Amino acid sequence: MDESLRYESIPRPMKLSKSRSDESFESTFHEYWNAIHRLLTRMVIDPAEAEDLALETFYRLYKYRPSQHETLSIRGWLYKVATNLALQSIRSFKRREHYERYAGKDALIEAPEDQPQKILAEKEDREYVRLALGQMNSRQAELLIMRHSGMAYKDIAAALNLAPTSIGPLLLRAEREFEQWYRTLVQEEDR
Amino acid sequence: MKNHITDGKLRAALDGELGSDELAHLESCQQCQSRQKLIEAQIRPTVERLRFLSSPSQEAGLSTSSAWKKFNHEKLAQKETSMFRKLFASPLIKYGASVALVIALILAFPATRALAGELLSLFRVQRVAVVQIDFTGLEQLDESAGPDISQLIADSITMQDEPGDPVTVSSVDEASQLAGFNVRAPQDMIPSRISVMDGSSFSLTIDRDKAQALLDEAGRSDLVLPKEVDGADVTVNIPSSVSLAYGTCPEPSSDSEAAREMEREMETSGSRAELYKDCIILAQIPSPQVSAPASLDIAKLAQIGLELTGMSPEEAAEFTSTVDWTSTLVVPIPQNAASYQQVTVDGVTGALLERSIDDGDDAPQFALFWVKDGIIYTIGGLGGDAQTALEIANSLP
Repeated sequence: MDESLRYESIPRPMKLSKSRSDESFESTFHEYWNAIHRLLTRMVIDPAEAEDLALETFYRLYKYRPSQHETLSIRGWLYKVATNLALQSIRSFKRREHYERYAGKDALIEAPEDQPQKILAEKEDREYVRLALGQMNSRQAELLIMRHSGMAYKDIAAALNLAPTSIGPLLLRAEREFEQWYRTLVQEEDR
Repeated sequence: MKNHITDGKLRAALDGELGSDELAHLESCQQCQSRQKLIEAQIRPTVERLRFLSSPSQEAGLSTSSAWKKFNHEKLAQKETSMFRKLFASPLIKYGASVALVIALILAFPATRALAGELLSLFRVQRVAVVQIDFTGLEQLDESAGPDISQLIADSITMQDEPGDPVTVSSVDEASQLAGFNVRAPQDMIPSRISVMDGSSFSLTIDRDKAQALLDEAGRSDLVLPKEVDGADVTVNIPSSVSLAYGTCPEPSSDSEAAREMEREMETSGSRAELYKDCIILAQIPSPQVSAPASLDIAKLAQIGLELTGMSPEEAAEFTSTVDWTSTLVVPIPQNAASYQQVTVDGVTGALLERSIDDGDDAPQFALFWVKDGIIYTIGGLGGDAQTALEIANSLP
């Protein structure tokens, strides 16, 4: 084929420049990627799934285009979406055993020789934590995850559309609820 | 402060989130302090159990720059590819007239159907232009108002002539006779199939109030349809088209079961790409004829359509100002999942579209568009090399 026919360069007036909203999204992505990815890595066991969920979280922000509609706490919004995705993922495991087996196998592979029991126990404990969160009312689970990931009350309040003064009472209730679920799950397993 | 602090506020105090008045009370109230210690002890196990959520990262995660690349090249492209496939699985495509791709792109996708009347009035085609659209913006609109928009279009369109089933013929001459125009074919290639599809025609009458109500419902009340749109009657005549298939290509089909089968095939597109990797289709059709009221401001409507996809008003205005809307065939392509080049082809300027990514389960698709002497040509393939399309186009007699 005549090389001159290959992709002959012609000025392209149709090519659109990058918009301000694109730039704003890119900057948001760079600012929050690590935090959201880290949260999801802790919430779901499979690193590949955590990565997928983190990408999905940002895709939802990309689709939502908050700048066109309203001003909102981007951080809170991202945490809320990520938390919901993580809870859905936890709940989607049909058999709890699968979850535990995965964690147990992983723990034994990764555990240093001098402390396998400690690492294994820690990993198992996290699985109970995840399962307990998955059993809870979504709003309570979101609140717990956001707070214990380090979010301030005002950011949590904005993300969950609550008054900042209501966070303390709701958090206390959620923590009590969580502890009940956790103990129930451990007791069930011990039987 | 006379009243003691509630348990909820004592919990907030443990996080340093108590107001100054209440904090002053807590510091001076033994009873509240005792109660707070009790609460602290009560929640301690939970706090310990959830501590890993805020512990410093130990795992080596995807770096931000790699994640950004992945987001653009995989996540967005994957979503847009999914929308692109939806377009390819459209009812019009099933007739095998790939030259009608652009019409199908506009008509087949529910969220863009509201624009169909306006965009179709462009079809006094002399040239091709490409606009890169963020299809994910349309996806959101599709989710919120897709069925209603589709229904509105269905109610607004009256088909005068339905396109018939594609007819397989044995020679290019026969195709020319049946289609009523001079069909061109490369002389040194033997087609595996030649199909002719009858033309069709329809009219579309726009109900401005209903269309505006849907825009409002979709949260786009910032887009205001001009009053002249109301009752505007647009008629479209699409001539007969001819497609020449080279290599192993999917059968042209018109029945809905076959179309569903095609969609199912696309779901498992790895095998489809493998099966049709050498398929090239050359299709040609005389320019559709469109009549629309002169009062219809096509550029304004096109701008609204582009803004509907999520383009900013400035960007939409920039694009619409560069296009002669009375003679340009505008091909929308996914911003992240496809790329395009303007090329010289068959002695004129055309557009070569290519899928930007190979997502591992499908081969890159390509399509070459150009218009010459009133005939629109496309060469497309599910696999293979887009250069082949240029070679074929430039070898046409």
